Amino acid sequence: MTRRMNRREFVAATATIVAGAAAPGVRWSAARGHGQAAESPADVKLEIAPLKLEIGSKKVIDTVAYNGAVPGPPIRWPEGKPIAIDVTNHSKLPEIVHWHGQWIPSVEDGAMEEGSPMIAPGATQRYSFEPRPAGFRWYHTHSFAGHHLDRGLYTGQFGCFYVDPRENAGAFDQEIFLTLHDWNAYMGGGGDASMDALYDYGTINGKMLGHGDPLRVREGQRVLLHVLNASATLMHWVALAGHAMTVVAMDGNAVPRPQKMAAVRLAPAERLDLLVEMKNPGVWVLGETRKELRDAGMGIVLEYAGQTGEARWMDPPETEWDYRPFANSTAVGTEPDQVIPLLFESEFEGHGEFDYWTINGKSYPKTDTITLSEGKRYRLAMTNKSMDDHPIHLHRHTFEVTNLEGRPMSGLQKDVVVVKAGTTAAVDFMARNPGATLFHCHQQTHMDFGFMMLFRYA
Amino acid sequence: MFEGLLVAACWMGLSATVAAQNNYEIQVYGSDTVAPQSTMVELHSNFTMEGTKPLPGSVYAADRMFPTNHAEHETVEITNGINNWSEVGFYIFTAERSGQGVQWVGDHIRPRVRAPDSWHWPVGVSLSLEFGYQRRVFSTDTWTLEIRPIIDKQTGRWYLAFNPAMDRSFHGESVNQGVTFAPAAKVSYDFNRVVSGGLEYYADYGTIFNPDTLHNQQQQFFPAIDLNVSPQWEINFGVGLGPTAGTDRWIVKGILGRHFDWKRRPVAGSSDSAQ
Repeated sequence: MTRRMNRREFVAATATIVAGAAAPGVRWSAARGHGQAAESPADVKLEIAPLKLEIGSKKVIDTVAYNGAVPGPPIRWPEGKPIAIDVTNHSKLPEIVHWHGQWIPSVEDGAMEEGSPMIAPGATQRYSFEPRPAGFRWYHTHSFAGHHLDRGLYTGQFGCFYVDPRENAGAFDQEIFLTLHDWNAYMGGGGDASMDALYDYGTINGKMLGHGDPLRVREGQRVLLHVLNASATLMHWVALAGHAMTVVAMDGNAVPRPQKMAAVRLAPAERLDLLVEMKNPGVWVLGETRKELRDAGMGIVLEYAGQTGEARWMDPPETEWDYRPFANSTAVGTEPDQVIPLLFESEFEGHGEFDYWTINGKSYPKTDTITLSEGKRYRLAMTNKSMDDHPIHLHRHTFEVTNLEGRPMSGLQKDVVVVKAGTTAAVDFMARNPGATLFHCHQQTHMDFGFMMLFRYA
Repeated sequence: MFEGLLVAACWMGLSATVAAQNNYEIQVYGSDTVAPQSTMVELHSNFTMEGTKPLPGSVYAADRMFPTNHAEHETVEITNGINNWSEVGFYIFTAERSGQGVQWVGDHIRPRVRAPDSWHWPVGVSLSLEFGYQRRVFSTDTWTLEIRPIIDKQTGRWYLAFNPAMDRSFHGESVNQGVTFAPAAKVSYDFNRVVSGGLEYYADYGTIFNPDTLHNQQQQFFPAIDLNVSPQWEINFGVGLGPTAGTDRWIVKGILGRHFDWKRRPVAGSSDSAQ
């Protein structure tokens, strides 16, 4: 019987190779853009360490976080200006930090599968790169969790990274960063389906609804909300009671057609920039639209200046989420140089186990590695034959969503897109960032169980 | 003649045990409870291919009870979720047999609680209390209480469940027997996403401190399959063999359940709408 090698075992084997390459005489050089902590001072320091995070009254989560806080420190940096980030790992396990959504070299990207080294316990590592493109990015651990639902993205290892554009539109009065996360994961479900990760608590900016400071606004302000879903596996719906929100950007990229929404949906790793006009004074709840998830803590109070009282929630009208209204309805004008068909399927492992995932019939690390030629345009023609939705993510590149469920579209630039169960989707990207490039589902239970593949440049 | 009377006497002796056998709902309980704001409606259909027969010259089997041979038992079970750790079930028992028509047998109510998911126990644990009435012609005991602890575990493709149930009669022939022990167990294997198959075991050992002889105990083995066609449906089918004299010999059982969710709830990874 052939035993499947999982992502952790593959990573461990690869780590040995990388460690060998970094043996005496082959020291990583900061000048190369990556390596051990250099003597020059870092622009940002991140300390990975265990944390007892108090998310609510008498609710303390044992987790691992950056700089003793969840989310980690926000990083705001001008586009293209070199940045040096020293990451010290005080946890018991090897770690790695992925700079999600940025066009940076593979060795800096923070994915072991691309060749970025893991940070051993007790070690410090420097990441050096030029942040780009401008917009709302984020950083997070890219380590394996598998059945350990207190590792990887189940922890508090995430933070916002805003790459400032050279010219800021500035059509807002206040910016607020919001991070959604779910805590205390356990294997549940089963029955007719396979196991999934279920959670006890949810938080926004590390606090349950009713705990922590409220968001403070003033009447008449235009507030830009940068919302990140940092959940390991759950999609979330968010609404601000008493207010509509205009979606102006997705995954940090301006949408062709901003839309006013009563509620918005974010898959794991997706970001939305939402412009809200504060014209309904009061004390409101911004939170999950589903009561059970709000009751589990996913919400935050928004308070107008001079207003007091109990925070109010109002259910938004029934809302369906669709990317298409935010994009151009016309087909993309440029045909790809190559279409790469990708078929997503699951392999049943029992009602008491997570599924295994395949791309074109193979699970990572046995998935095919596809070679790209720099300068060419590629189309990923994805067919999801499984019963789960998949927020797929392409590292180190931005793609354009060109087709959803057989209907063409254009102009919507993203780095994560949901391919719904039983449907098709297509995204185009330009191969203009040479190096190993990881493609995977951003659900931790999927990426850890086979849903990954690599692109390499010729 | 004497031999005939002896056979009849033996049947009468066994009948008290047979009467206690619950061939109306043949199911090993899992620890999970019905989700709040949802309802599970199940139809339990059990046909006794070989069971007790009427005494000569009588419509009754032993102990003035209707025979079970070729009897069809239809039970409607309606279970409503209270919260994420409790539910209440209600049963309507009926029986149909040639010459007797459709008969109402009785009703039970069954509250149940379980260890919530948030306790993160390594096995599922719940406790069921079932109290109710059944007519004298279908059971020697008319008012009974069952306390059923439930322990189960799903690991990979294997599912294990154990129900060490205890019964107590409050009106009828077994009142003075005290508590009887009636365990049930199940082991099954997921052949694929839809079909699970395994073995279910049902027994009644008699009183805890003075169990019946093996000959007179109820022992039933049901090879059974579960079809997981949809989260909304529950389908179970099995054929049971009772190897002891105290058990109906052959029973065919089926369970058809429909789950009604009164509120859309999130599914991990789904793109359901905002509500």
